[in-house]
Amino acid sequence: MEKRQDIVTGLLFAGLGIAAAWMATGYKGASGIYPMTLGLILTLLGALVALKAVRSGRNETRALVDAPAQMITASVVAALYVAAVVPFGFFTASFLVMLAMPFALGFRKPLYALIVALAFVALVYLVFSVLLEKPLPREAVLSLMARGG
Amino acid sequence: MTIKATFTGFAAALALATPALADYPERTIELTIPAGAGGGTDTSARKLALLLEEKLGTSIAVLNVSGGGGSVGASQFMQAAPDGYSLFATWNSPLTTVPQVQDVAYSLDSFTPIASTSETAYTLCVKADFPATTGEEFLAELDANPGKYTYGNDGIGGTMQLAAERIFQAKGIEAVAIPFGGAGETLQNFLGGHVDIYGGSISTVLPYVESGEAKCPLVTSAADVPALEGASGLAALGLADKETLLWRAILGPKGMDPAIVAKLADTIEEAVNDPSYVEFLATKGEVPNVVKGDALGARLHSEFDALAEVSKGLGL
Amino acid sequence: MEFYTNALTSVLAWGPLGAMIGATLLGVLIGALPGLNPVMAIALLLPLTYSMDPLIALGMVAGIYNGSMYGGAIPAILLRIPGTPASIATTFDGFPMADRGEASKALKIACWSSAIGGIASAIALMTMGPLLARLTLFFGPAEYFWIAIFGMASVGVMVGSDPVKGIMAAVLGLLIGTMGIDNLSGQARFTFGQTWLLGGLDLVVVLVGLYALPPVLQLAEKRDLVGLSSGQLKLKSAPFEKGEIRGLIPTWLRSSGIGILVGILPGAGGNIAAFLSYNAARNASDDPASFGKGNPQGVAAAECGNNADNAASMIPALSLGIPGNVVAALVLSALTIHGLQPGPQLFHQNPILVGGFMMEMLITSVLIFALGGMVATRVFAQFQRLPGVLLVPSILILMCVGVYVINGRMVDLWVMLAAGLAGYFLEKVNVPLAPVILGMILGPMAEQSVRRALLISRGDATELLTRPLSAALAVMTLLVILWPIAKSLQRRRKAKPV
Repeated sequence: MEKRQDIVTGLLFAGLGIAAAWMATGYKGASGIYPMTLGLILTLLGALVALKAVRSGRNETRALVDAPAQMITASVVAALYVAAVVPFGFFTASFLVMLAMPFALGFRKPLYALIVALAFVALVYLVFSVLLEKPLPREAVLSLMARGG
Repeated sequence: MTIKATFTGFAAALALATPALADYPERTIELTIPAGAGGGTDTSARKLALLLEEKLGTSIAVLNVSGGGGSVGASQFMQAAPDGYSLFATWNSPLTTVPQVQDVAYSLDSFTPIASTSETAYTLCVKADFPATTGEEFLAELDANPGKYTYGNDGIGGTMQLAAERIFQAKGIEAVAIPFGGAGETLQNFLGGHVDIYGGSISTVLPYVESGEAKCPLVTSAADVPALEGASGLAALGLADKETLLWRAILGPKGMDPAIVAKLADTIEEAVNDPSYVEFLATKGEVPNVVKGDALGARLHSEFDALAEVSKGLGL
Repeated sequence: MEFYTNALTSVLAWGPLGAMIGATLLGVLIGALPGLNPVMAIALLLPLTYSMDPLIALGMVAGIYNGSMYGGAIPAILLRIPGTPASIATTFDGFPMADRGEASKALKIACWSSAIGGIASAIALMTMGPLLARLTLFFGPAEYFWIAIFGMASVGVMVGSDPVKGIMAAVLGLLIGTMGIDNLSGQARFTFGQTWLLGGLDLVVVLVGLYALPPVLQLAEKRDLVGLSSGQLKLKSAPFEKGEIRGLIPTWLRSSGIGILVGILPGAGGNIAAFLSYNAARNASDDPASFGKGNPQGVAAAECGNNADNAASMIPALSLGIPGNVVAALVLSALTIHGLQPGPQLFHQNPILVGGFMMEMLITSVLIFALGGMVATRVFAQFQRLPGVLLVPSILILMCVGVYVINGRMVDLWVMLAAGLAGYFLEKVNVPLAPVILGMILGPMAEQSVRRALLISRGDATELLTRPLSAALAVMTLLVILWPIAKSLQRRRKAKPV
């Protein structure tokens, strides 16, 4: 397990290094030399990591992900949340993810989750929108209401 | 002149009838600044925003988008809706200088010019023991020693460098440009003797001129600058047409309602001429300068063309 | 002396005092939330100074600045999520301490160290400001290059078990640091035709993703549905044992010195100070192997170093008019709003205001003693009472809002998620993350200064070594690299005869 992971890691870094070095050849003069050198060093180091793993006799087990189901669920919900921020608006999406994420991970106390969600989103609103006056993606609900009224 | 004035007045009156202007502004305006917090553009825009909030009766939220010498902020702003709720407070460089050296996604036509706010000249300064004091002597010394002197500037292809090179090209002078991250960094390296000539804003170097540690033979404006007594304006050197200034303006995205533009331009003019803002500008060595609407567009275009010529000459 | 007693009396009025207390608390909160940084709050505050008593406004600046540098340590210790880039080094030993049940001790050490670093720095600002400021002028591009390399040498302490992977991570960071417009030639590098990449990848965006997402995912994997009971949670008070304080004094002295030196150099920030002090503490230790496994000295060094940077970073700003970082630039512009001209004459123009601000930097550092621990335990530790599955979306939201408000664009959120997933897997395969950030911080500084130095010397590379100061820095860098090797050789030799 560990062996295969290290080989893949090493090769990935080596590939990244080659790609960077190749792209750097197109940059004019001094701006290209430095990233190209870095790319080549990265390739060497990546190859070294892979080579060490190939030659190493040891091969201990090392799980890449401890609980794949939860890890994937959490990542997917996080990605959906980021995707929902613009169409729904920041606070609506945040409120929804506060309910959806615990549910997806197996939390079954809807009232508890609802109270925490409301309190937390209100807190974020106070800090960012009231105190720091930071513009955030607009709430779709507001424009819908405006159109209705 | 009168025809144009009548026309604008007519257009404004016509637009007044439409609800868009009557209600404007009814919610928060977002002001994008293509530079990080704390710089000259940022502080003057934030100060102006406070006055505009008062005069427009709405709140203004400031967003700093730095990077790429202002081109990141400009490209991001370009996509905003032209509804008057997204404004862009910039200095001239991202619009007229940066496109000369970078492949940018925007052009001058991607924006609606609203009004310029203030301007100042750049200056070139040397240590007190430099063998030249007046502008004429200074250019002669540089001319006599091609490639000997280094001058610090605000970044390659930045307005400061082009302002200097414009003069150097006219006189056939060769000096080594050392790009730094800003006037503060240039000053540090100038005072430490790491570069021979300071190139940058006036207010940064002014205390050292007053203390006698530095002297400034040259400013990049046509006229002399009262704060820098010894410095020659370009007109005195017969280079009046090579003037390059640092100036700030507020723009909108392409296709804004002319009535809203007119209203904003008038409000900005009022705010800029507010005594507290004039006083604030003075502390930074800037003077109010309001050019509105189409006249601002013309100013942008003519500066763009002039700088294109300079940067072509530099091979940038 | 009269200069400071006058300033002190005007600072100790109700207005400035209340502002400092409130702002220090706010600063700790801002520092503790990943993504939020003091610059946002201070930038918002400063335009108001025109209509406000300047000592109140500057008191708030001082409080937010000092408070946030300490605040970053709280999530760094409790969750291994650095609140600011400067608190990465705090996670190295702070989290292992918390992991073995010594969270309150770690927080207390962080609190004391931050306060002491801040006090030392403020005293340096008050006593030696103009003198130290002149010192910075000797540092030209060649010297900055060596400082960056010197900082890079501290990568040694963070490479973990597998040095090759550690260096590989650092090179990746250096490469990421080259993204965007090259300031020296105008060339766009690795931007893939995307305009938002012209400014390069934002350090904070990458930091939040790399450091905050993996712990969040691990929290989700644990699937904790109950949360800590209030009994478990109660952070026991952790009084210092006899001799413990004395043991930390050398570290505090050393880290304060390093923090102040880094602080006065424009452009070098608290994050570099923290890494350098951590490295120095490890090199000075009799037991360097215990670093990274919960050694209190590591927490003390990192936190003392990053706070000692603060007041010192005002030195070039106030005495030369050269702002070394964004906060200093904001303070400078606040002073000019009040008609002061930064530079050599500043101290004489308005002694009450300038002296008062320096006093406020000192007082807010002292306030960290009183307020810091309270905020950490009363507010932040309570968060852990929530079931883990509720913490997951809460931290995620804070990360997203913090990252979004930096540049106001959605694409940064995707960058953060991608960096986070990459960080999750890199850690699993033993590639350390800290060197990536270190590379991103120091890479641009190293590249730009060496190219500037070569432009000035017309391409003559020997000038990087022949100037006295740069030669001295080069030798120091070499020593820092060789010192740990020499020490371990010595230990091996000692062990042999037995």
